[in-house]
Amino acid sequence: MATDLRISNISKIYPGCIANDNVSLQFKSGKIYALLGENGAGKSTLVKILSGVISPDNGEVFLNEKNLKLSSPLDAKKNKIGMVFQHFNLFETLSVFENLSIDATEDNKSLRLRINEIFKKYNFSIDLDVPVLNLSAGQKQKVEIIRCLLRSPKVLIMDEPTSVLTEQETEELFISLKKFCDEGILIIYITHKLKEVLSLCDEVAVMRKGKVVSVSQTQNEKVETLANKMVGQKLAKIKKKINISKNKDEIFKVKHLNFYSDDPFETNLVNLNFSVKKGECLGIAGISGNGQNELFQILSGEIITPNTSIIFRNKEIAKLNPKQRREYLMAFSPEDRISQAAVPELKIYENVALNNFKASNFFEKGLVNERKIKDHSKKILSDFSVNTDNVELKSQFLSGGNLQKLILGRELITAPELLICYNPTWGLDVGAINYIHETLIKINDQEKSTILISTDTEELLKLSDRIAVIYKGKLSKIMSSEEVTPEKLGVLMGGGSID
Amino acid sequence: MIKIEKRNDVPMALYFFTPFIAIILTILGGGIIFYILGFNPIEALKFYFITPISNLYGFSELLLKATPLCLIAIGLSFCFKSNNWNIGAEGQLTFGAIVGGGVALLFYNQEGFYILPLVILAGAIGGMIFALIPAILKTYFNTNEILVSLMLVYVSKLILDYLVVGPWSNPEGFNFPETRQFSDSSRMPLLFEGLRIHAGIFLALAAVMLSWFILYKTYLGFQIKVSGLSLKTAKYAGFKGKTMILVVFMISGACAGLAGVGEITGPIGQLHRMISPDYGFTAIIVAFLGRLNPFGIIFASLVVALTYLGAETAQIFLQIPKYTGQVFQGMILFFLLASDYLLFFKVKILSLKKNELRH
Repeated sequence: MATDLRISNISKIYPGCIANDNVSLQFKSGKIYALLGENGAGKSTLVKILSGVISPDNGEVFLNEKNLKLSSPLDAKKNKIGMVFQHFNLFETLSVFENLSIDATEDNKSLRLRINEIFKKYNFSIDLDVPVLNLSAGQKQKVEIIRCLLRSPKVLIMDEPTSVLTEQETEELFISLKKFCDEGILIIYITHKLKEVLSLCDEVAVMRKGKVVSVSQTQNEKVETLANKMVGQKLAKIKKKINISKNKDEIFKVKHLNFYSDDPFETNLVNLNFSVKKGECLGIAGISGNGQNELFQILSGEIITPNTSIIFRNKEIAKLNPKQRREYLMAFSPEDRISQAAVPELKIYENVALNNFKASNFFEKGLVNERKIKDHSKKILSDFSVNTDNVELKSQFLSGGNLQKLILGRELITAPELLICYNPTWGLDVGAINYIHETLIKINDQEKSTILISTDTEELLKLSDRIAVIYKGKLSKIMSSEEVTPEKLGVLMGGGSID
Repeated sequence: MIKIEKRNDVPMALYFFTPFIAIILTILGGGIIFYILGFNPIEALKFYFITPISNLYGFSELLLKATPLCLIAIGLSFCFKSNNWNIGAEGQLTFGAIVGGGVALLFYNQEGFYILPLVILAGAIGGMIFALIPAILKTYFNTNEILVSLMLVYVSKLILDYLVVGPWSNPEGFNFPETRQFSDSSRMPLLFEGLRIHAGIFLALAAVMLSWFILYKTYLGFQIKVSGLSLKTAKYAGFKGKTMILVVFMISGACAGLAGVGEITGPIGQLHRMISPDYGFTAIIVAFLGRLNPFGIIFASLVVALTYLGAETAQIFLQIPKYTGQVFQGMILFFLLASDYLLFFKVKILSLKKNELRH
């Protein structure tokens, strides 16, 4: 039976922001629909309304011309609307089967039978009795999808499903989604990745600032046209010119980096060796959870490992803490903006004071020099175009992009010789991403080096001079970014080999 | 169905106002308890909160009891602000009193202007050393400071017990569990003739000013603030986490030790078993009621000191046990935590139909 989902004049207003402004859309089964937009465009709000997590202020949702009252996620389930969120809602220490049986209404035996039918039908194979923490991101996502399929959904909503997948896993996902679509499940695919829209979806709705700005057939679109619709302005294309600088000095050298942890949620690192040249960007690719966290913390000095040698500008720094490493002109931008790189409850100038290097004189003889910190903060705010000039503002009121600009500004204003950043553009919108990419390229142009640990391959290919892949705590050989293709990276990130 | 959401922005003014709400609720709750016990609530509350401070002597007693509470709470605020849960101030107070008292006993038959400063210093060092035990165990052996600091309270009390019945007991004391009286040179000077309020109050006030300065104007204060909000950030910024734990415990222990020495050189004048009516534990309530803010703590210590006095008056006039003081202290903490919860979280009640429940 054909499914017809209609959203009519949906509005949702939050204090100070219109998340959805009179949104109307129509979806029919047999097609895959993309919902495209930057962060903050209103996609998530719309999806939350469809899945009953929040209620709209205005407007209605019709499924096969029946007006749906979606006041809780249960209502969405009851009306056969399935949802796979970007962050998995699984119990890591329970087995796959236990996770699937939590909200099942039937007995275990018939549930197992039905799961096996789904496995056969879609060519899935996952061991049902292993704990979820042993699964890869792609497998976890399959568990989420199976959970939806068990309720024979009419509508399946996928929220940014590929953000944690390898290229191969993404391909597998697309094949499955196309199968679901052929079977009459209506698929709504939320993303900000343009290429995925083009390769997977039939129709694309673009949202900007809470409004639907365009609905079109994907065959009539190109990456550039979609990007322009999404951002609303012509994007300046940036592409780094690669620094082929074989004769340059190595300013940073890591030898025998090993890390062992008893914690099952941490990844052990096995004998990492690499070096960074002056003015170069070394990219480290990998799916999240393959040791990037641990690597970043060891490079920044938050974790000190025995028997490791880290040479920076001809000095052994392996035993130094982050503050001491900063004195040698290193800078760090961690992945977690909100609870590590900055404290939301602190004012902007207090967050700036976190990078307290000797020459800053923020704390003279142990006393706070508020004036100096504030002047310095004002300079950062204007130099790195953060959209406020109020240094007394609490950081929690900055958007993700502005917070990241503040953090990068704080780290870069000291003119460090080496910046180590980890997913610097994670969760940011295109405008902010461009700004940050330009900034990172500028650093290399000034003969300063960067180590970019990132899970975004596109970003890595754009910014790095050389790239290595980290997989299960091991580093692949380092390749010049000219010889690297997304496919090669994908193979390595998934644990394959390319030779 | 009940849903609990974190509030994004809590107004600062409201944050400092909720302790007053908690106090008002405590008074109302106290009235209800008195009513259930068969007393006229208005009258009972008057005995509890007004009578004790209706004359000069009562007011001096209020300041006398607020002094150790304020001192200890100031010290604890350093620990609590930086996520170190020192709940053993009572033990640090006791050990400070033991060391300070020991020095006072050395000089029991001597006079001299230098004796009191020595006694006070010894008390602070005693408290500091005792607080270093949980701090060192935490930093180097990963133990839980809550358990260790709490258990050490009983250790210090047993040491005191042993000393006052054994080696330090007064040779002319007919085997009472107490030491000799300290000489006058070991006693805190009284501020007014006939009142018990003594110079220890200046120590408390100095601690308030100094702690305000350290917390808000120094690098150490900044590190304490950041560590309290996010340990991950503190680590990333490269703060010396271990050193900081040791320092805040030392400050906290020194303050508790000063409070202990203030008691034995002030109103008590010797060592015996009962040198503190659990000031060290009650000061935890004071610290939180004062929002870990030095000036808030002054106010909170006065309020909580009043519950001690009120309990004594109520015992005399209403013939109810003085442990009602602890009931009131408990209510203050309870209402403070409850109003804080509502301050930081929104509680939403969502309607849910029966058939949805079954699904």
